Amino acid sequence: MKKPLHKHIGHHAKKVHGHFTKYLYERDTIFATIWVFIFIVVLGAIPLNLGVINPIKLSLKDFDSNDLSYSKLHKGEDTPLDNRIVIVNIGLADREGLSMMIDKVGSMKPKVMALDVTFDGERDPYKDSLLTETFARNKNLIAATRLELSGKDGDTIKMGGNYISTASNYAYVNFFNDNLSTIRNYDPFLEDYKKKKFKSFSSAIVEAYNPKAYKKLEKKGAHKAIINYTRTVKKYLVVENEAILAGDVDDSTFIDKIVLFGYINNNPNDIDDKKFTPMNERYYGKSIPDMNGIVVHANIISMVLDNNYIKKVPLWVNLLIAVVVCWLHMSFFVRYYLESHIWFHLVAKIAQVASAIFFVWLGIYLFDKYRLKVDLKMSLIVIVLAVDVIYFYEAWAVWMHKKFNYKTVFKPHHH
Amino acid sequence: MKQLQFLILLCSFTVVASAQNSFLLYSFKGNVSVVENNVEAKAKVGKPLNAGATVKVAAGSAVTLICNEAAMFTLTKAGTYPLSKFGDSCRVSSNSVSANYVKYVWASMTKSSGSAGSNRKAYMNTVGAVSRGGMNNVWIDNRLDTINYSSGNIFPLSWKSYAEAKDFEFSLYSNDNISTPIYSNMLTKLKISIGTFSGKMKQGNSYYWTAAIKGEENDDLKIINYVSKETFNAVLETIKLQGAAFEAPAEQAYRIAFMLEDAHYLSEAYQYYSKAATLDAANALYRSTLMSFKKDYEIK
Repeated sequence: MKKPLHKHIGHHAKKVHGHFTKYLYERDTIFATIWVFIFIVVLGAIPLNLGVINPIKLSLKDFDSNDLSYSKLHKGEDTPLDNRIVIVNIGLADREGLSMMIDKVGSMKPKVMALDVTFDGERDPYKDSLLTETFARNKNLIAATRLELSGKDGDTIKMGGNYISTASNYAYVNFFNDNLSTIRNYDPFLEDYKKKKFKSFSSAIVEAYNPKAYKKLEKKGAHKAIINYTRTVKKYLVVENEAILAGDVDDSTFIDKIVLFGYINNNPNDIDDKKFTPMNERYYGKSIPDMNGIVVHANIISMVLDNNYIKKVPLWVNLLIAVVVCWLHMSFFVRYYLESHIWFHLVAKIAQVASAIFFVWLGIYLFDKYRLKVDLKMSLIVIVLAVDVIYFYEAWAVWMHKKFNYKTVFKPHHH
Repeated sequence: MKQLQFLILLCSFTVVASAQNSFLLYSFKGNVSVVENNVEAKAKVGKPLNAGATVKVAAGSAVTLICNEAAMFTLTKAGTYPLSKFGDSCRVSSNSVSANYVKYVWASMTKSSGSAGSNRKAYMNTVGAVSRGGMNNVWIDNRLDTINYSSGNIFPLSWKSYAEAKDFEFSLYSNDNISTPIYSNMLTKLKISIGTFSGKMKQGNSYYWTAAIKGEENDDLKIINYVSKETFNAVLETIKLQGAAFEAPAEQAYRIAFMLEDAHYLSEAYQYYSKAATLDAANALYRSTLMSFKKDYEIK
């Protein structure tokens, strides 16, 4: 008699379940799993940079699988325009041009203005004096400064790039990142050796615009925060400086808004003040920077105002996930290694590819849905290592069996 | 109970009816004006507009609007546009990252990345020189710089994009007016067959054409001469007369094709290359030349 469909499915599910669990509680599976982690610790403890000639490691140095979300999976494309922020493209305006621009926008009653430009040394005295007066006149203007770190621990801090020194508020625009790396984090605050607190550009803007949101940020302390990128430059209203001076901008545009003055250029060949971000179209290998610094600041401000922070899963959780993943895979691999050795390598490779696809998806899903950043790199590494460790473990278990009568499911030269 | 249901229905209808689209004037260039409450005013960046407003775009101007702070669209053609008609442009596609991931993984696993040897046009565009006269994101092969055309609907005009773009605007200009196109077409492909716009041209006249990413400009104009049948026949006869005494039909077709290509009659050259390959299907040279020609000019 033919089996009903649900029994048929149930039978197959039980069979697949058996593939994973048959050896799950075997001592060999548990010890082989432990050996995988011993290998990782030992390899990690070698005081040599073995990746120096490894092109894969070098090219993936700055790789984060979550970046796929933006570049290939269209994350953020349906994010609405942030109508609290207006960016004014300063173009190539000089100090006089900036002065006129700030005064004009200042007259349109924005809540906060912030200028993402540093000024090193004197230039034309007439133009310098115009900007000095503009800075003094506009009390809601936050000017950019560059922190210069010195001392053995880099905790002696002095401000630079603030030759025009009459602004009411200065905030630093440094991203403490390698120039060629993707900007994923920023420091909302920085303290020097005297515990003097410096505010980042975005933090100072948020403080002036929404003190409640600033308090929440302040509670997080002076730690690196992951930037939740949600918008490309097209998701902010960008106004050209010429349009402002020509009166082509609606009066209501700036009222009670955050106005960011910065350099915007959509020309891919112009990389002045452009940074690599996770929103880059090309998420691995050689690329060109994709986002102007002012848009990075705007993304940070949007994140803080919306309380839209990314939560990072603690290391111990990542490790726990890796242990469970390794254990399950090891049980599965041991089953094929012992019972269907002819298929072992094929099944192991397929399982590795399938697991890699699954775990990358899982990471992306958690990141997209719950803003949860889980580092599944370790899980992927253990899956790759598990196959090689089985061979080592077999030899070790057989040797232990001979020497100490260690009980094992592995038999000498079984394949 | 019925009264309550009616009230709920009425409330729902009121809510739906009042949920009008709101627009924001994101950017504009040229001469653009806005009519609101029968009052016409010059367009201003950042101006909020309701669905009852009308936007007027003059020739050579463009305006970009954002609907409901989410959907961005650009009007580039001259005309008067009541915003109430742009309800469709307000729809925002909600992306499922998981679904897109499955599509991406599948596409990556099944699609070959190709190699330099198999597609020379795609891999021979890295230019080792600077360019003067502005930055174009669209590159048009110099072999298409001047084309003589008399017949054939298949041959395409093609280009390559340096930027990741989905929409391209093809424009055809008459010889005496390169500011207003006599024909323009928004395309998703990187080519357009001449047959699509040949009806807009008159034999014996020269035209300019270009292609640009939607919303951008490309001042790199190429020439297409719409040659009369008589002129082409005269050229063809001259070429035919230059043949050897004992020339097989396939050989003759191949030679004519080569000489027509040299004389910039690309559409006609394609017909003769095809003819040569058909007449002598066993000839590897004819076949490979036809394949290369098709690859070079994006003929599918």
